[in-house]
Amino acid sequence: MNRVIERVLNLLAFLLTVGRPVTADEIRHTVAGYDQDTDEAFRRTFERDKDLLRQLGVPMRMEHTDAWEVEQGYVVAPDEYALTDAGLTDEERTALWIAATMVRLGGQAAGPAAIFKLGGSPALAAGEPLTADLGAEGESLADLFDAVSTRRVVSFVYRDKERKVSPYGLAHRRGHWYVVGGTPAGTRVFRVDRMLKIGVGDKPGAFERPAGFTLQDELPDAPWMAGEDDVIVDVRFDAGVAWWARRQLTSTAKVTEGSDGSITARFPVAQVEAFIGWLISFDDQAEILGPDEMRNRFVDHVTAAS
Amino acid sequence: MSSRRTAQRLARILAMLPWVIAHPGTTVDEVCERFSYSRSDLFADLNLVLVCGLPGYGPGELMDAFVDEDEVVVDAADYFSQPVRLTAAEALMLLAGGMAVLSSGSGPPALESAVAKLQAVIAPDAESVAVDIGSEPELASLLRKAASDGAVVNITYTALGSGDTTHRDIEPWAVFSTLGNWYVSGHCRRADAERVFRLDRIREATTTAQTFDVPESSPVPEVRYSPSVDDVAARIQLSPTASWVAEYYPVNIVSDGPEARVIDFSATDPMVTARLLLRLGATATLLSGDKVAAATDDLRERILARYL
Repeated sequence: MNRVIERVLNLLAFLLTVGRPVTADEIRHTVAGYDQDTDEAFRRTFERDKDLLRQLGVPMRMEHTDAWEVEQGYVVAPDEYALTDAGLTDEERTALWIAATMVRLGGQAAGPAAIFKLGGSPALAAGEPLTADLGAEGESLADLFDAVSTRRVVSFVYRDKERKVSPYGLAHRRGHWYVVGGTPAGTRVFRVDRMLKIGVGDKPGAFERPAGFTLQDELPDAPWMAGEDDVIVDVRFDAGVAWWARRQLTSTAKVTEGSDGSITARFPVAQVEAFIGWLISFDDQAEILGPDEMRNRFVDHVTAAS
Repeated sequence: MSSRRTAQRLARILAMLPWVIAHPGTTVDEVCERFSYSRSDLFADLNLVLVCGLPGYGPGELMDAFVDEDEVVVDAADYFSQPVRLTAAEALMLLAGGMAVLSSGSGPPALESAVAKLQAVIAPDAESVAVDIGSEPELASLLRKAASDGAVVNITYTALGSGDTTHRDIEPWAVFSTLGNWYVSGHCRRADAERVFRLDRIREATTTAQTFDVPESSPVPEVRYSPSVDDVAARIQLSPTASWVAEYYPVNIVSDGPEARVIDFSATDPMVTARLLLRLGATATLLSGDKVAAATDDLRERILARYL
């Protein structure tokens, strides 16, 4: 392991100071540790080292070595390499670290590498209880986050259609990750777990965010509230489930209590499918009182089920 | 030699060097504490840095790294005076973790300013990332306190599958949020087994005078459903609009095509599958599974009876 680390430290020191693109050949003859016997052995070693640097987050790119554009060389620009100092205090670093260990993303909790980069923490206490699992879409989320923070266009397949979207924001709300982005038809919300074949464009700064954009305003309060064409519904929840319904209704709902412990709630619905799905979780303990059109849709939906 | 361990060691060196350079006079203890080093590991890494540097690799080109009367000294390593920028995955993990804990209302005061500072550096567009796991339910603090005190809690619980309401004494271990819902894990004395309960299904909870021994480390709770032999199976055909079911639930995909996807769906209670089928409406077809078919018909009749 020592030899690998020495070689990679030498490589990185060289690339950070040389100030011009350097070819693999020049690296082989200049940097200590690349004295492999054969071309093939060198190539394998060099590929592994590049991969290691990439894992650490070192931004390495290719550039032409001269104006004739004959050869390509490797560049690690110091300003792209360095982390901008966030000016965190030790207390803040510790708070971030503890929060990161309390959360799982993509099935795992954070390793200490990120907090080390920010200056480490004098209190890396392990064993905080898990507080939140933010879902399994770890890798695609990192790509989408990169696209959001560098303003790159993303492409993906959504409900069998290919889309190109300018991602304005990435948000997690109550169990789901969403991308809010610009499309030819306006700003739209996409659920990350329904996005397939996610690709991120090469060009940073590829779009402008609309002035006054706020992520919170674009996100649905409840899954059935995303959209514009609201229908106001009245729903009765029987006494046995009234407590459970109350916990899930948002503050926009007007609730009236019945004498038998049941409640009647009046609230807006935009996503009818999501609303019907939610209502079915109450079995036969809930009933749409009106409007009739919504009652009929519900009956049709349940009747058509398998 | 695993490349993961190599990467971790290298990452720590590239983070430790800038910090030592920026803090002249720092001690071995300080560096060890801050970067989770043992003394011998720190010395080994400094010795390694000492033999690296720039081409030529003579005394003038190599870095200086040593311990002088317990003071860590790094010199001639200006090119490593800044830490490596965060990867997208690292940045998201820190930011999302911080925001999640803040949104639950359980973070320390320093977390708010930490998240704001971090966001300014790694996601400069305001409002580009938001994480909201929903504020902790009121019950959470009672259960957390009981978990740390080792107090048994009596709960009134309505099961998701059967709708049955039971009273149980539980030994709570941990309170957490997964995929939008809050849960408590622990030992259920009624079932004499480990159980996970959804907080919004706990109607009432009272701390009792009984105590239990708090486990040293509670197992990481897993609420994702795992199939068992007693499960009720059903084969379901999904139209493209319903194909998300296969990604959302742990199912076996029997066949997959552009027009239809066929899955095997198992659940401990046929009512769970029945509810899913009613929810999917015309976008799914039950191909086989007698118990599920009966449960679906039963539930449909009961629901429609209200609309006649």
